[in-house]
Amino acid sequence: MVILDPPPAPASEGGREPIPPTSSDPPDGGLHRSRREWLRYLTKALALVPALIPTLFLIMIVVALFSLAGFGVTFSLSPFRFVVHPPYNFGFGFFGSKWNPSPAPGYPAQWGTLVFIVGSFLTAVPALFLSMAIGLGIAIASTVYLPRFVSAWLDPFVDLLAGIPSVVYGIWAFVVIAPIFGTLLNPWAAAHLAFIPGFGGPPGQATGVGLPITIFVLTLMSLPITTLLIRDALRSIPRDLWESGLALGATRWEVVRKISIRHGSRGILSAAFLGFGRAFGETVAVAMVLGVNAAYPINFYGSTGTIAATIFSLLDSAYGNSQFLAALSEMAIVLLAISLAVNIAGRRFISSIISYEVPGL
Amino acid sequence: MSASSPAQTPPPTESLPPARRRGRTIGTGVAIAIAVVLLIVGIGAGYVIGNSLKSSSSSSTTVLTETGSSLLYPLMKIWGPNYTAYNPSVTLSPVSSGSGAGQSNAELGLVNIGASDGYLKNASATSLINLPVAISAQLVYYNLPGVNGHLNLNGSVLAMMYGGAITTWENPLILAAQNATIQGELKALPTADQTITLIKRADSSGDTFLFTSLCYMSWSGFPYSASTSGLSGLTGSNVLPETGNSEMVTGVEGTPGGIAYIGISYAHTVTGASVNYAAVGDNLSNSASGGLSPANYVLPNPTTISQDANLGLARLNFATYQLAVSLILGGSWAGAINLTHGGGGSNPTVTSPTPYPLVNLEYTLIKTSAVSGSKTVTSSALHDTVLFLQWAIAYGNLPQYLNQVGFVPLTPTVAGYDAVELSSVSA
Amino acid sequence: MVLANASEARRSPEDILYQESLRTKWRLGFDRVIGWLLPLLFIVAILPIADLVYYVGSRALPTLTFQVLTSTSLTQTDALGVPIVSTAEIMVFATLLAVAFGIFGGVATAEYLSERMAGWVRMTANLLVGLPSVTLGYFGYFTFVLYFGWGLSYIAAVVTLAFFMTPYIFRTADLAFTSVPRPIREAAFGSGATGPQYIVRVATPIAFPQVLNGIFLAMAIGVGETAPIVLTTTLSTILPTSIYSPVSFLTALIWENFAQPKGSPLIDLAFQAAFLLIITVIALNIVVRLISYNFQKRIQGLYQ
Repeated sequence: MVILDPPPAPASEGGREPIPPTSSDPPDGGLHRSRREWLRYLTKALALVPALIPTLFLIMIVVALFSLAGFGVTFSLSPFRFVVHPPYNFGFGFFGSKWNPSPAPGYPAQWGTLVFIVGSFLTAVPALFLSMAIGLGIAIASTVYLPRFVSAWLDPFVDLLAGIPSVVYGIWAFVVIAPIFGTLLNPWAAAHLAFIPGFGGPPGQATGVGLPITIFVLTLMSLPITTLLIRDALRSIPRDLWESGLALGATRWEVVRKISIRHGSRGILSAAFLGFGRAFGETVAVAMVLGVNAAYPINFYGSTGTIAATIFSLLDSAYGNSQFLAALSEMAIVLLAISLAVNIAGRRFISSIISYEVPGL
Repeated sequence: MSASSPAQTPPPTESLPPARRRGRTIGTGVAIAIAVVLLIVGIGAGYVIGNSLKSSSSSSTTVLTETGSSLLYPLMKIWGPNYTAYNPSVTLSPVSSGSGAGQSNAELGLVNIGASDGYLKNASATSLINLPVAISAQLVYYNLPGVNGHLNLNGSVLAMMYGGAITTWENPLILAAQNATIQGELKALPTADQTITLIKRADSSGDTFLFTSLCYMSWSGFPYSASTSGLSGLTGSNVLPETGNSEMVTGVEGTPGGIAYIGISYAHTVTGASVNYAAVGDNLSNSASGGLSPANYVLPNPTTISQDANLGLARLNFATYQLAVSLILGGSWAGAINLTHGGGGSNPTVTSPTPYPLVNLEYTLIKTSAVSGSKTVTSSALHDTVLFLQWAIAYGNLPQYLNQVGFVPLTPTVAGYDAVELSSVSA
Repeated sequence: MVLANASEARRSPEDILYQESLRTKWRLGFDRVIGWLLPLLFIVAILPIADLVYYVGSRALPTLTFQVLTSTSLTQTDALGVPIVSTAEIMVFATLLAVAFGIFGGVATAEYLSERMAGWVRMTANLLVGLPSVTLGYFGYFTFVLYFGWGLSYIAAVVTLAFFMTPYIFRTADLAFTSVPRPIREAAFGSGATGPQYIVRVATPIAFPQVLNGIFLAMAIGVGETAPIVLTTTLSTILPTSIYSPVSFLTALIWENFAQPKGSPLIDLAFQAAFLLIITVIALNIVVRLISYNFQKRIQGLYQ
């Protein structure tokens, strides 16, 4: 080991001698902050500007939905009013069940959007159940039963389901699948499954438009999300938990059922929320396959309307009529509120970015 | 990466892996190179195509945007390239979105031309003018397997169908107007097809306006209004909503037992052995219970359509109503339909040849002056719009264009009034 | 040997063994059977997508010639030259905007914000990602078309699409820069790098593949969006001549033409556009996987 000479005393900076602190001096050296600290604060403050871009976008979206002033809609019709004037039901029968923008003369127009809200739930909830069931099965198969090199190949295919644009789903379903539903599956089900309540009755249109095809399409679209999230939840089980289950004599299925599902239940719950959010907000594919029908379906094969598809289809023609516009924007607010709520609930249980390969996740 | 620990001599340099070895993986560099190459190829192709396009037209091409009626859309698509051949510096971009959207977009100044099958009331309030450019007609299609030939349907029967008073095809009111063969065929329809499926337009549609106008005028018990979204209250398991004329065609083709109202410009796209259109009767000369003779049921062809148009236009009072006129049933309600009974005028006398009832003027809505702050309706664009519409009224109404969609040309009176209206546009 | 309850203690050993082996056989059998059944569910997921790709391809490919792809004729029904170039133009500009917003925001979040603020900002970005596309289309219509007065135009579509793509790029930039290995970050700061020096010289080369991935994926998602485009622009048959002119887009083409009567050539046009979209998305996904595969190898090296 070489003993070096002590380093030479540093040259004084700018002619200022370092002042040894005395007990009466405040610990931060007084009220003067050095330029470097100011710069640090400034950088942090400046960095807030680009960082708040997403927040800014979200605020802009909310504001745009709420403020219609200047577009020919007076304040009494703009959605802000429901905050200010009770009763808090968005005004003019928003939660009524009849949607009739152009009634016979002498009758008032009815803006009951309950039909569309119910329609959105009627299409999204069965799709959620189906995609959770299938997603659970696929995730279990992929993490437990299939060899790793096989699932490494199959998993990206399921993720690819998410990459297909929704118009392409819509046109394929409309041209290819809907006629199959309309001419084969619906009549068969109406004939043979009539004992299940809601499955009997007229088998719906021969073009296939209706709830079954919509649920089919929405299941396909929320499947990648649910599969991905459940797969991640199951994969995050610690290996020793898994092995101790097997060591106690349980079969793989029993370990999954009794240990993995319980351990990954938060991830599975978030899969349900986010999958539901996707199915609820799906716009273009539903507009193509279901259309807009302001009616409650009388049985499983009937058609109805969803909020997103209705707004998308009717926005262009709403301008002549300020009440129509206000009703549509209130529907958009409901859609936004439900999407945000479902997203927030869904993300409470998972880390912020799961995969950036699945859009909507 | 913790500092390693037990005192060891560092491994000799030769055994460390070479810094740049990649093994058998494709380097990020190669992947990025592929992406960049694709990008360059894409941009290059775009540049080449863009150049080839620009070389065939001047780079200061004006684009006139048109949205609205799906009934007028096929004619606009035919007019577009022909007008560009005539005047290369202007291109027309038609879009089919429904008459309601056409009206809204024109009001807001978002498009140059808004197309609508129904006139827009109070157009001057938003500084628009209604400008008819052609005369079109609407057909009533049905899909009845086993029924050959054209059904005879009149306005009140149609109104009762859509109003819910008639629910099956073998209803006596329908049967009464058919000949014996068709009566037998209707009664012989399979049960599943007996129920009438009402196919309606879900979007804000001028076709709905025309059809509901006919129904409204023909039956006093018609529960819906005569407007572009008049059938929005029509719901039920036997109702099939479709968006756009083309979806109405697919809807009726795919639904046995269905009935739909479709613009004549889509007639040539309808296929299907069991799909046919009806001979529509004018029943104002008789009571609503029918009783028309077979001669009163008319198939749409240029003669009967022109007959109705001439009848209506001759009767109506242009001075009072300008061009906001309805030709339904030969214009039997004088002037604009204002949605209350008693719009004026007298019932038509049945003339020969009987006019086809479902005829209307196709309107384009344009602003009377440039919209300040709008980038679309500028005064030069408005000037080009006026020129285009003048071409459409003069040349676009030639048979070579109108025959492709089944329309008939504007009468000289209407053309004259159009010229007067166009001269009031300040551009 | 597990005795289920006290009554079992009175049974003969052979009975117990027989019953237990039966139960075990059932459990093992069930496990084996379900091990074969569950993977079949993959077919449920993969079969529709295979059918979709096959049908779209078989419908589009026979008529997809080079002439069709480059034709800009106004009279030819299946002229795809203008939609393809328009789509590329819109994507390029929307991506540039989204990259500007997203990368600056992401880097700022990753480097300069406190954990609490960063958590809040990340939550907002996640919420934006999950919004229905009609909400963004609606917002674009109100804000850009009407309020800013741009009309149904090229620039409204570009900016709305940029708003749509920004959260995706923001999240991946954020993730990329926060996952720079800590020791490298500390070594950089320990060697006296300032913030910007660290970001530009140290973190960017490491985070670059991931950010590039994010950009490609945002492009793949953006090219498939319909609602923001349809609501903010009208379709045009020629290339845009100014930023306020109407413009064409592949997805909007599909939306316009999907309901044409059977046998109409416009449906074939829609399928051709759908086919091009599928190829674009698959190609972008393949590029992303190549980059991330290589990135895995590289990031392993950083930990040695």
